[in-house]
Amino acid sequence: MDLEPSQEQAAILEALERLLEQHAGARRAVALGAKGEYDHELERVLSESGFADVARSEEAGPLEAALVVEAVARHAGAVALGARTLVVPGVQEAPLEGPVALARADDAGPVRYACHARTLLLDEGEVARVIELEPGEAEPVPSQFGYPLGRLETARRRGQACPTGSGERMRCWWRVALAAEAAGTMRAALDLTLEYVRQRRQFGRAIGSFQALQHRLAECHVLVEGSRWLAREAAWQGAPALAAARAAAHAGAAAARVFAETHQLSGAIGFTREHDLHVFSMRLVALGLELGGVAGHRRATARARWLATP
Amino acid sequence: MEFSWSDEEVRFRRELVAFLEQVLPPDWEQISKDGPGGDGQARFSREFAARLAERGWLTQHWPRRYGGSDASPWLHAILGEEMWARGEPRGPQYMNVNWIGPAIMEYGTEAQKQQHLSRISRGDVLWCQGFSEPEAGSDLAALRTLALRDGDDYVVNGSKIWTSYANHAEFCFLLVRTDPASRRQRGITVLLMPMDLPGVEVREIPAVVGERYFHEVFLDGVRVPVACRLGPEGEGWAVVSYALQYERVGAARYARASLTLDRLAEHASQRGWLEDPRVLERLGEASALVDAARILTYRVIDQRAHGLPPSADTNVARVAGTRAEQAVAELALELFGTESLVHGSFGDAQFRSAMTAGVAVGASEVQLNLIASRLLGLPRE
Repeated sequence: MDLEPSQEQAAILEALERLLEQHAGARRAVALGAKGEYDHELERVLSESGFADVARSEEAGPLEAALVVEAVARHAGAVALGARTLVVPGVQEAPLEGPVALARADDAGPVRYACHARTLLLDEGEVARVIELEPGEAEPVPSQFGYPLGRLETARRRGQACPTGSGERMRCWWRVALAAEAAGTMRAALDLTLEYVRQRRQFGRAIGSFQALQHRLAECHVLVEGSRWLAREAAWQGAPALAAARAAAHAGAAAARVFAETHQLSGAIGFTREHDLHVFSMRLVALGLELGGVAGHRRATARARWLATP
Repeated sequence: MEFSWSDEEVRFRRELVAFLEQVLPPDWEQISKDGPGGDGQARFSREFAARLAERGWLTQHWPRRYGGSDASPWLHAILGEEMWARGEPRGPQYMNVNWIGPAIMEYGTEAQKQQHLSRISRGDVLWCQGFSEPEAGSDLAALRTLALRDGDDYVVNGSKIWTSYANHAEFCFLLVRTDPASRRQRGITVLLMPMDLPGVEVREIPAVVGERYFHEVFLDGVRVPVACRLGPEGEGWAVVSYALQYERVGAARYARASLTLDRLAEHASQRGWLEDPRVLERLGEASALVDAARILTYRVIDQRAHGLPPSADTNVARVAGTRAEQAVAELALELFGTESLVHGSFGDAQFRSAMTAGVAVGASEVQLNLIASRLLGLPRE
């Protein structure tokens, strides 16, 4: 047990920070989002620099991948990185043509990145199914929640099933990816809010000096830190069912709380498009609903811990 | 960054668990139902702590010269988990080991180290913590117990309140004000006071949370030798701050919460309730909170293992622990229903002990204040 980043990990993260400062960020996310576009440029940069496939490298593994996912989310990068770097490698050896969208066969709801994805990885319960998507196959769904969404009805009956047990692996790694992405997104939302309450003055003082607000922000910090470390632990452990489910359960619940508190404490300005909070906060809602939502992750946690079958 | 346990750590945990299964009597739950301060447990703990000490496990993370084996803080953390999961058979002595000993190691004279550390590491002494007063709880710096210098003694007058374990303790880690003109943190001094000195009176404060839980300690003209002073006169606040960092994550309370969840799940399973998705969700929710407390505590232990100075991450871990305990206690009530109202029942024990989680060892509000100022950069009011 050693929770300090190694020199190699620190170097990776530092290089990634610099890259993300240049190629990601809230303003870029807003500009792309307004046009319903996917950030292919960011994905390309992450790919060429090796960050997007760090889990497949010799020296690194799923923990580094989770750290990358967390960092990209914190910089508002909206790319299907969790799928590429955590879920697909967790299900099969060979990479899939990206971007990769993740969906569940029993959920007819809109799917993140469906309109831009080349491949769909579909959770069919026992197995995961790999489905190649045609351009324009998904129907775009208008949404205010920070990610491009699409519906994929007809796709679901094609493609190639992965071996038995791949469905469970997919769900576990998907949970880890969600937890890591939520952790980074929450951190950004919270940091923005902290900055805001430090400088916003009312009643003759910074509103961040009121204890009531400090306590709520501190509680959020505790939740964000717990989420982030449970995600990292689960990634390092290889996404066993229990660790993955509890990471997602914790992060999902934390995300709902952080959404509510950051908006409440940011007042009216926090609702505007000119302020960056919405870039992160609205995504927290989407992340919290994915893969069956918090209730699903909680049930999976309990099953993994106390029942023989997940 | 990695999350594995070394072979040594795995081996140690296995040996320890085997030892505990062998040594804890079959009626241990009955003995320990009133918590570490209860008579049964305090009595048992003397023998038990001594046996742990014989195996070299009581203070293994201490330096060799003080009765330890320079072991990694992780081994001590593993020990804490297994102890707390079983209702803390070390009794009040967990406190000596976790922060009183370390404070004496850091600030004590050679004579004090000789006198106290060997006894703590042998497991044959009980201490209590003389911090809070009727007018100084969360605001500890408002303490008023006076200790005026008279020759080779301090003459102590005042009282302490909520003092756990005062009924059995031989020594008190006592905070006093040695400069009557001083205010707040300045002028506070730590005394390692023998509890059998004339003028010390201990009275139990009956409380709904358990037997022998709280005490008042009245100090009426108690002459405490100057040799009992820990650290420089008037600079006790630094000693206190040091000790508090250790105290905050001293008890692996998440381990007890985790065991409680196992019991709740067993109870639910016996009744077929694990088919009910709502029960699964409630269990999963509490489980996630408990593991968050665990991993955040590991963060603190890790910082210690790296020799880093204590940080406000101890406060983060403490808040997470409290939220986990509270969630588990609530769930215990839900699942045990009105059986929880029966004194001595499992639901009863969980609920009443969790009542203090947000207040003991520093109120949650103080923890949140410290997180806000030290980690979030928020200005004081």
